[in-house]
Amino acid sequence: MLRDGKAITVSGITREFGPATAVDGISFEVDRGEFFGFLGPNGAGKTTLIRMLTTLLKPTSGQAIVSGFDVAEDPARVRKHIGVVPQAMTSDLDLTGRENMDIYGRFYGIRSGERKERIEYLLEMVGLAPRADDLVATYSGGMRRRLEIARVLVHKPALLFLDEPTIGLDPQSRRVVWELLKKLMQGDSITIFLTTHYMEEAELLCGRVAIIDAGKIIAMGSPAALKAGIPGNDIVTLKVGGLTDEIIGAMEKLPFVHKVSREEDSLAASVDNGAENLPQLIDVVRASGGAIVAASVHEQSLEDVFIHYTGKSIREEEARKVSFLIGAGMPQRLGR
Amino acid sequence: MTKLLAVIERDLKKFKRNPVVLAMSILMPMIYLVILGNSFQGKLTDLPLAVVSQDQGPYAKRLMEYLMAVQAGPRTFLVLPMDDQRAAVDGVRAGKYKAALIIPPDFSRRVAVSGKPDIGLFLDNTDSISADTIRNLIDAALLSIRSEYVPVREPTGEPLLRDINLYGKVDYYQSLVPGVVIMAIFLGTLTTGAFNLVMDRFLGIEESYLLTPLSKGHIVGGLIISGLSITTVNAILIFMMSVLITGIPFSKGVLNFFPILLVVLLTTLCLLSLMFAIMGRIGHPRIVGVLSGFLNVILFFPSGAVYPVASFPGWLKSFARINPEAYAVDALKSILFKNAGMGNILGDLTFLALFTVAMMSLSILTFKRTL
Repeated sequence: MLRDGKAITVSGITREFGPATAVDGISFEVDRGEFFGFLGPNGAGKTTLIRMLTTLLKPTSGQAIVSGFDVAEDPARVRKHIGVVPQAMTSDLDLTGRENMDIYGRFYGIRSGERKERIEYLLEMVGLAPRADDLVATYSGGMRRRLEIARVLVHKPALLFLDEPTIGLDPQSRRVVWELLKKLMQGDSITIFLTTHYMEEAELLCGRVAIIDAGKIIAMGSPAALKAGIPGNDIVTLKVGGLTDEIIGAMEKLPFVHKVSREEDSLAASVDNGAENLPQLIDVVRASGGAIVAASVHEQSLEDVFIHYTGKSIREEEARKVSFLIGAGMPQRLGR
Repeated sequence: MTKLLAVIERDLKKFKRNPVVLAMSILMPMIYLVILGNSFQGKLTDLPLAVVSQDQGPYAKRLMEYLMAVQAGPRTFLVLPMDDQRAAVDGVRAGKYKAALIIPPDFSRRVAVSGKPDIGLFLDNTDSISADTIRNLIDAALLSIRSEYVPVREPTGEPLLRDINLYGKVDYYQSLVPGVVIMAIFLGTLTTGAFNLVMDRFLGIEESYLLTPLSKGHIVGGLIISGLSITTVNAILIFMMSVLITGIPFSKGVLNFFPILLVVLLTTLCLLSLMFAIMGRIGHPRIVGVLSGFLNVILFFPSGAVYPVASFPGWLKSFARINPEAYAVDALKSILFKNAGMGNILGDLTFLALFTVAMMSLSILTFKRTL
């Protein structure tokens, strides 16, 4: 079924909406059994990409082979082999958790006995067995998401797509979903494709990550390799009283400093061995006439990788896009 | 088949869990029968008529007697005797009375002597139906006051109209029953079938269903079948209740029931397909809300359910010719009031079937399997 062992093969896929290009000539491959993540801010093209891979949108150009079938030419067969958890909550509120799963299982033509057994097992796995016969309308957001993950596993898909699975969940529910996805990877031989704009989610779960911005892949690799690929390994953040360009100039002359970026009266410097070099950095700032108000050192994260390649942080992008969306009065379309 | 059944079951379950929708869809057409039956009655009654009589003569008295007789008999108007002419006319202007009749002091004298009596009738002509009725009755009254005696025998030599009713007596309430059943079908098809697709789309639930191996046929077919079962059961219930309320006799008993069931089924299927063709791509229930009023007016009023199609102007008549509700009303009226057999309604059924096929093809053509 899977040609050359690839779960997903994408070459030059593009999707245009009128004059806008949401996905711009993306190519990548995902091996069977991989946990692959797409990391990027909202509006980067993640949902458009996942919709093309799951047959809901036709690509403008390029090709995608999913589970061995071309998404544009053989959408029905692709659908049979994949499971998809869309970004929006899609379980039926007027049905119980069990009914939601049962109806869904019948859409795949799974026989009654097998279906019942599988549903019991999955409800148990996602911790919803005690609430299985309650209407979904009474579930919390986290419960609803777990139900939706369980629901797409009814037909034992070999390839699972999750579009921002923890968006809108509280930190605790988010952690429960993460544990669930980790457990899933250990058990069955399943391939998972996930999109997210949470760095920690991508770092924690994904074996390989593609960073996407404005419809293009800007970096791809394991989280460790991505972080190793940018200069320095730590970020030193300093809040400086009387910050001047001379101070920044002096800092950039140090051999262990790679890059310094400024935001009002704060500095972020990517450096080698931040903890050991911090005292020297502070000395230089003081010598150039600055007063240290606060200092911190943290290891570089995927966020810093994103900053390195795009010059902006995912969080900034987030804030800008969300306020734009809400300003335009379209909160219910936010998920699209 | 399992897949189709799953689509149907999902839809029926969701419908069942909304008892308010269930109750409303039965109650509303019934209330409709009561409201329509009482507001659009065949004959007008109790129109307030102010009468100022300034004449005590015999002809004025005879006129008053005639008016009182109308009030006691067909009750077309309510005679309100008054003294003040100005108050009576102002009352018509204020909408208190439909008309004011002023009988001048010399009325009887002029009837007897000159034969050219004057009488004033102030009409609220903004309500033309009431005004016409009152004018005609007063005209008749004025003609009759000169007759010195009441004829005992029918005058000879004049042609006499004898009406022969071809069918059993049908009163106004009963004649509305086909319309009420069609209304129930319309409301049912509007709130099931394609509407559930619109709701799923609006709630974002649709995405998950498009991601399953369900085909276009499964989705459209399943929603139409569940809508058909809900609406048909509903319409038959409403039909039986209106028959009980209005007392339509069933001359052929159960034998009448099958053609009625057939007409109801086919009409429901026809309107469900029409709704699918119209709403197949709508993503917001508000658009359906706006459409529903419009569709109801353009389908129901030209259907012949309340007013005969024959009296429509030409262009509206042409529209009635392609209006499926007109064929449904005609078929139901034939079965209910004319005891027609299947042969007589074959034309109606053929049209409904053709319309269904056309709309169903259009829906499947325009329905998108992608987002």
